[in-house]
Amino acid sequence: MALVALLAPTGCQEQPAQGPSGGPTTAPSFQPAPVSPRILLGWQYRNAISELLGNEAAQAVQPPPDTALNGFDGIGASQLALSSSAIARYESSAWLAAQAALANTSARGALLGCTPRSTMDEECLRGFLSRFGARAWRRPLTDAELTSWTALGMSAAAAAGDFYSGVEVLIAGLLQSPHFLYMVEVGVPDPSQPGRLALTGHEMATRLAFFLAGTSPDETLLAAAARGELDTAEGVRTQARRLLALPTARTALAHFFDELLQLRELSTLSKDATTFPFFTPSLAASMREETQRLLEDIVWEREGDFRDAFDSGYTFVDKQLAALYGISGAPATGFARVTLPAEEGRGGLLGHASFLSLLAHTTTTSPTLRGRFIRERLLCEPIAAPPTNIPPLPAQNPGEPPRTMRQRLQQHVSNPSCAGCHDKMDPLGLGLENFDAVGRYRTNDNDAPIDPVSTFDRSGTFSGPRQLGGLLRADDRVLRCLVRNLFRMASGHVDEAGEQVSLNQLDEAFATSGYRMKELLVELVASDAFRYARSQEVQP
Amino acid sequence: MKPFRLSRRTLLRGVGAAVALPTLEAMLDSRGTALAAGKPLPRRFATFFFGDGVILGKWNPTSTGANWQLSPALAPLVNVKSYVNVVSGHQVKTPDRRGHHTGQSAILSGYPFIELYAPNANYASKFGGPSIDQVAAQHIGQGTAFRSLELGVSKRIVTGEGPTLQYISHKGPDQPLQPEYNPAALFTRLFSGFSPAPEPQVDPRAALRASVLDAVREDAKRLQVRLGSTDRARLDAHLTSISELRQQILALPPQYTQACTQPQPVTQTNRDSGGKEPLEQVSKTMSDLLVLAWACDLTRVASYMFSGGVCATVFHMLGQSRGNHDLTHDPDPSAQDQVHASVVWVVKQFAYLLERLKATPEAGGNLLDNSCLLLTSDVAEGYAHSTTDYPILVAGRAGGYLKSPGVHVRSTSKENTSNVLLTCLKAVGTGVASVGGDSGYSDTECTAIKA
Repeated sequence: MALVALLAPTGCQEQPAQGPSGGPTTAPSFQPAPVSPRILLGWQYRNAISELLGNEAAQAVQPPPDTALNGFDGIGASQLALSSSAIARYESSAWLAAQAALANTSARGALLGCTPRSTMDEECLRGFLSRFGARAWRRPLTDAELTSWTALGMSAAAAAGDFYSGVEVLIAGLLQSPHFLYMVEVGVPDPSQPGRLALTGHEMATRLAFFLAGTSPDETLLAAAARGELDTAEGVRTQARRLLALPTARTALAHFFDELLQLRELSTLSKDATTFPFFTPSLAASMREETQRLLEDIVWEREGDFRDAFDSGYTFVDKQLAALYGISGAPATGFARVTLPAEEGRGGLLGHASFLSLLAHTTTTSPTLRGRFIRERLLCEPIAAPPTNIPPLPAQNPGEPPRTMRQRLQQHVSNPSCAGCHDKMDPLGLGLENFDAVGRYRTNDNDAPIDPVSTFDRSGTFSGPRQLGGLLRADDRVLRCLVRNLFRMASGHVDEAGEQVSLNQLDEAFATSGYRMKELLVELVASDAFRYARSQEVQP
Repeated sequence: MKPFRLSRRTLLRGVGAAVALPTLEAMLDSRGTALAAGKPLPRRFATFFFGDGVILGKWNPTSTGANWQLSPALAPLVNVKSYVNVVSGHQVKTPDRRGHHTGQSAILSGYPFIELYAPNANYASKFGGPSIDQVAAQHIGQGTAFRSLELGVSKRIVTGEGPTLQYISHKGPDQPLQPEYNPAALFTRLFSGFSPAPEPQVDPRAALRASVLDAVREDAKRLQVRLGSTDRARLDAHLTSISELRQQILALPPQYTQACTQPQPVTQTNRDSGGKEPLEQVSKTMSDLLVLAWACDLTRVASYMFSGGVCATVFHMLGQSRGNHDLTHDPDPSAQDQVHASVVWVVKQFAYLLERLKATPEAGGNLLDNSCLLLTSDVAEGYAHSTTDYPILVAGRAGGYLKSPGVHVRSTSKENTSNVLLTCLKAVGTGVASVGGDSGYSDTECTAIKA
């Protein structure tokens, strides 16, 4: 016992120094964050190839995997460097995409924009390079770039005796260039504020397009950039509203939810086949679909209050999910909206099988994992490091062994080195114990009755996901966290202290709009924090 | 699309004006010299890593010195025991700030990890310096087609806490190297670039690909000067990666011999079936490919991540149904028994790799005679997140640098694990004088395992 008393306290007893919980986050004046080129994420890369060269080319590519930092792939993409195996993937993908695009001889004309009069038709090749290059690199090529790349294409055409060999080399080359692989953001000195940088029109077009539409800027956006229309907040809002009306905007936002809510991990999630023989990849895919459909309904179909996502009394199920939830109303094929029975307490995202399955072990639930996710992802309150060199636990008390998860987790509370952090995590998950490791409703755990009544900070007691969701939707921390997470994905960095004044304005705009996600997206891209930057060499 | 069939001569004439072409002859010479008789045999290095540590009571042999006996965990090494040195009682010396992160960075690099601390965002960390496989690659990996290979088997890794836990191979803090998890894809990368011509020659298409890379390199250089200092370094890494790929593309196909046999196409993928990972098949195939890559001198350095730190790997073939990390923190004795069983199983896969190396002849001996493999984990014991009495095996004779038959060395003074890393790096001829940094730094070898 003396050993236990000597253990250093963990960081969980401390309040965060600053943060969405309402600490001193606000800097006196706006200070932008440093600018950095960002590697296109895998899905953005594939979308861009599709936009430029069509679906068959997009199917052929195999971009390298992304690496997240501080919770988002986009942050890793702003900081990490490319390995030779990544470069190898981009190289082989570029050639495969070029070959796929040129394989259909009848579509070559449209891609090319001219008809070659000979193998060595330099004018046609240079014209293609100029048009294709401007789309691929999201900016016009310089004369020097046009000249050197045309020369490479011409020599390849000459060597092969085939004009299209030159075209293939140009496509494969431009797609390997850092001007394609990175969202190149250098900025220009902001005339209105010495010392800070504004993104150029083309850089802004690229940022807007990949964030809001998930792909390369289209001709309209590039033209707006060239006319200087993206240099003002109002011009950005106009283009943002146009992009948000495109079908690709839904897909792009779905990627944010996939990442924030870890939904993409459902595709590789496995459960113990003995305990859950019905758990299949198909069921896991339906779980993701349910969550995305609810969010799509709120954000795009109803343009409703986003807070509904936390405690909605309805959801979308197919036959598999309806069977899992023990409810009726699913159509023979596809998904339908159903009202959830109130008595089981299911409702909102935390009642979705996706969340309940992802944050669980292969056979049992994990209140700790569920609680940690809510802290880190929904409240932006990271959990401090687990203790190192954990002392052996005392032998279990003789008598009845623990049966329910709540009884087993008493160990965390009884050990002071564990309690600091687990007190923040476990209660959140213990209130969800009526839902097993795949999200089925249950009243017993290990043949012992479950007590699902738990507490959430000072907000009060709750039982079940819908009640917890109700507490979350009323919690200012959750809304501030959502805004910052969206900004992190959009900008590729963790928001800095100097940016909080701009993000606080977003919090207000979000509230004023009645928590409409589309309005938040528009105001986010029009915000100072999204549009301005500082040089890496300038300290805040 | 019809593949390019440009003769190299045509291409040289056609493209030479626009872009400087590589001196193919120089590479030929370099490669020829490396293989020429009279040169010392190449030495190879690999790290072999698995997540969540061991049960020390069943890992450490009871006796030390040359007469050590196989412990329960090390029993699968019976056929290669004389090639194995067991190092115990050593300690990771970097500050123990976060379980798993501390060990994974220190035991693979000798550096403390770097925390990417953001008070309101998810935690992440990265390595504080290059992992030792990349230090080795810098010194002994430059002349081969592949500077190094990064292999992975179990895909149940932690992706949410940054590169430290996600990867074992790091060129530096900002350049983690992703492993290849798919044996079929690794096969393609290793062998498909070579032309099937009867005479070994560079694929004519390779020269074209290289000329495009040269043009891309010029783009990257022009961009680089416009960037801030941090991003200039990232672009430097990008440029180096282009050079490495260029070297791979222009490398000559291997000369097939008794040891470097022409491989049959590998079709094994790493796709789960019914939620189960094909761990055994993938591990064996990866080992086969690594042995072949070494026998053919396509590379001399590798990192082999059987499973990652904090991994959720399920050892289903042992009748287990829970993730490994979950099991390690369950104080129930039966859970700890399962952890031990999975450790034995991983050691068996390592033994397979060693046996294959031993069975591959090289100049009167075998590949294992000229290799050094370091086996270790992200923690000593998973339950405690401990970093003392670290599990370490150093296998292979490294050309006579390491003790043979192998010994069990047990430190009674918690010596620095980095001493072992330095010994490995010296054993394979890197010539480095020290390893790691800060409190993980070492310029002292673990002399007890030196021949």
